Amino acid sequence: MTATENIKIEKPPKGASIPAKEGIKKAILGVFKKALETEALDAIMIPVKVPETESYAWVLLKDTTLLENADPLPPVMTIQGGKVLSDLTKHGKINKNIAAVLRPCETRAAVELFKLKQLHFENITLISIDCPGAIPLSEYLAEPEKSKKSFDNVLDKWDGDDAVRKVCQICYRFSLPTLTNAPASDLHIGLSGNTKDDVLLIPVTPKGEKILERLDLKADSSLQKWETKIKEIKKIKSQRRKKFNHDFKANISGPEKFTAVFDGCINCHNCQSVCPICYCQQCYFDSATTKLSSEDYFRRAKERGALRFPLDTILFHLGRMSHMALSCVSCGACEDACPMSISVSQVFSLVGEQTQQAFNYTPGINREESLALQDYLEDEFCEVETPSECEPTNSNEVKENV
Amino acid sequence: MSKKIGVYICECGTNISDRIDIDSLIEEISSLEDVGVAKKYGLLCSPAGKKYLAEDIKKEELTHLVIGACSPREHEQTFMKVCLEAGLNPYLFQMVNIREQCAWMISDKEAATRLAIKYIRAGIKRVALHKSLEKIELESNPDVLVIGGGIAGIEASLSLAGPERKIYLVEKTDALGGMTNKFAQLLPHQGANLSIVKDKIEQVNNNEHIEVFTSTAVEDIHGFLGNFEISVTNQEKDSEKKEFKAGAVVVAIGFGLYDPKETPAFGYGDVENVINALEFETMISSGKIVLKNGKPPASVALIHCVGRKEKGYCSKTCCLYSIKFARYLKDKLPNVDVSEFYQDLCLPDKSDQNYFEEAKKKGIHFIQSDEIEIKDINDRIKVKYKSAEGKKEELSVDMAILAPAMVPSQDTPKMAEMLNLPLDETGFFKEAHEMLNPVATPIEGVFVVGCALGPKNIPDSIVQSQAAAGKILSTLIPGKKLEPEVKTAEIREEFCTGCQTCLSVCFYGVISFDEHKGISIVNEAICRGCGSCVGSCPSGAIKIKHFTYPQLYREVLEALR
Repeated sequence: MTATENIKIEKPPKGASIPAKEGIKKAILGVFKKALETEALDAIMIPVKVPETESYAWVLLKDTTLLENADPLPPVMTIQGGKVLSDLTKHGKINKNIAAVLRPCETRAAVELFKLKQLHFENITLISIDCPGAIPLSEYLAEPEKSKKSFDNVLDKWDGDDAVRKVCQICYRFSLPTLTNAPASDLHIGLSGNTKDDVLLIPVTPKGEKILERLDLKADSSLQKWETKIKEIKKIKSQRRKKFNHDFKANISGPEKFTAVFDGCINCHNCQSVCPICYCQQCYFDSATTKLSSEDYFRRAKERGALRFPLDTILFHLGRMSHMALSCVSCGACEDACPMSISVSQVFSLVGEQTQQAFNYTPGINREESLALQDYLEDEFCEVETPSECEPTNSNEVKENV
Repeated sequence: MSKKIGVYICECGTNISDRIDIDSLIEEISSLEDVGVAKKYGLLCSPAGKKYLAEDIKKEELTHLVIGACSPREHEQTFMKVCLEAGLNPYLFQMVNIREQCAWMISDKEAATRLAIKYIRAGIKRVALHKSLEKIELESNPDVLVIGGGIAGIEASLSLAGPERKIYLVEKTDALGGMTNKFAQLLPHQGANLSIVKDKIEQVNNNEHIEVFTSTAVEDIHGFLGNFEISVTNQEKDSEKKEFKAGAVVVAIGFGLYDPKETPAFGYGDVENVINALEFETMISSGKIVLKNGKPPASVALIHCVGRKEKGYCSKTCCLYSIKFARYLKDKLPNVDVSEFYQDLCLPDKSDQNYFEEAKKKGIHFIQSDEIEIKDINDRIKVKYKSAEGKKEELSVDMAILAPAMVPSQDTPKMAEMLNLPLDETGFFKEAHEMLNPVATPIEGVFVVGCALGPKNIPDSIVQSQAAAGKILSTLIPGKKLEPEVKTAEIREEFCTGCQTCLSVCFYGVISFDEHKGISIVNEAICRGCGSCVGSCPSGAIKIKHFTYPQLYREVLEALR
């Protein structure tokens, strides 16, 4: 699983502009159609609307007629794309030339899974796309038509909106940097700032460049307008995130408030099974180790006066948090999957951000960076070991190295 | 089978009984689940105490044992032996330290007793979850592979070879002797002429228990203490391949020399009559000290510390052999003017100071200097330097002899990879502990000696070879089986996701990745049970015997209650 084939091209100051007279989605799908017809790609992994329902599924498609129902940016995120790409490649690399179209948080999950050796990138062209957020799954399923309209509105405005999920409203990584040494994706689709008029296809790696070449698309359009808009939105959303996290932290801090957040948990473990970073074969909390004899339960009940069932729900969330917080990409899949509407992704996103800052680590942004816990730095956490001898790092500051 | 846990509290003379109310402790814990017996005794580690304990274990038919006494570092082994004698698996025993951690720490008797009760209860709860562990025995090969036929490798081979132990001595060049083959003479107090090295080579060649492979490279080594499998190829005889087994490996691959061309200021390769120390040794051997034009030099500069700054360490040997060169020059060419340019003098051994003083008496100049620059000016060598006073000075000479730093042998990285050995920041092999365990490595059964570990002189190399030999002789006893660590790590296949994090943290290199199954595998025969992999596994797929999560959980829970 080498990442060397993704060595960064010098500087991609430009992108290929695709006219979007019939809407941005049509324009993007037009490019994919051509890529399949000319065999520049053997197949594309893309969300497709399931016939007869309003839901979306990931489809690995070769047949261009299926593209009609495909949507590179569906209003909801039914299944995390990074997880799908892992399922597709974990047990051996793909021998065909395949593109996967992922939202930025899905792309970053894919990169984390790559680092965890749960995913191969060989022969995969990763296409990321600017994302304005996704509508909460439950709201969408209840009122699909209304949700679709709200999503179109969000796509117009780009600065997040009450219509999208809470983690999306405060997401400042809704686009991916195109200037890094080890980028996350190979080709990025720039939408914001170009809405309606055109779509930008920005090559990030030689792989991305090759695809454009095969399609006779020249990367000769300036990115300035797009970049300016991204910066603008990022600023608004970062500020919103800072404020939200500040207030939210006050609401969940301390054992009592924290416990209250998860009070309604029915221990279904949906959050764990949809989480792309929860890649364990079997969750420890589903294993026999956590199951005790009735005698033990009785003893515990006696010691505490009473024993609430299901057991260890808080322990489950804390355990999961300690395992995946460093790699959490704030995709919100857990909250969409929660039948009890617990604000689980907001909690994990906040804790994840602070943990990641402590390690100066941004998950999924760089394919060649090793996982935070696998890198040993001698001067790391000196404020814990020898507080008198070092300057404490300010972990409350929202840093952005994107 | 129902459990019957025996709890024995040692009074430790009065060490524990003075500070802890043992009777109330016993009263408190005897009602705990599965506790069959709770007793106190004066001094459990005494012969009478051990006898009493062994008899009681049998009489009471105990299934588990908890002893509240001193630190396990002091007597855990003692009581494990008692368990064995009494027919109880020694891993069904837990020792609780209520002396150092309670009695000696807390002056208030009541508080100390409360803490001791908690700890004993933790021990009882933990021991109830213990499983019997059986020691296994492995056949062990007493033979040794020695890599490198220099003085260190020769000494190791001679120290180890014997009727019950064969030595395979592998040398990559066509002759034994290593770097000493290039020396004309040794230091006077080391015997001066090279006959001692020649004698040792002779002894190796005449020793029927040493098989020497010259012009041979080590291709592969894998295995572990007592069971290494080795393959070597002869570089001359059409790459003839040989395979054999050994129980231990001694790496004595020596050193290389810093290339003075890397620092152009020394003029090596540019300025005529600037030579390095080994080239001068060759000149001594030939008996002709001459310049390129065939005439003897009237003045010679000896330049110490060539590459010291660049490499970041002192090579320890150069000062003395530069003095040896100066004295040789004075003996052969009485009118020659000799100047030694040094940064710091390194004269660590007991006879060195005298050797240096004598050189001074012979009229050899010692110039403390820095920022040396050697130039060719009108066919003479000009040594420009900054004096100790900080003044820019210069000296014209006919010949300059450079003393280059000793650097790691070019084979070091390859050997390190083959044996999974760490290198330090200088590029030499890293000791298991520089001060406390200087010839051992993290890999049991693999030793590094001589200049492969860093610059040193012949006597120090010999000392290290003898040290490694001593360690091997005391562990690899012919006919004796090895008892590997019992408390090893174990990867549960159904939990392992194949992320290979454990491979990156295992200091002993005992975990491998099974590509077919997509999971990591621990070689339990060589696992040392350090637990690093257990802590690193994101999926909790690794458990370590005797330190399982349930055991630790119960123990901590009770200790904190």
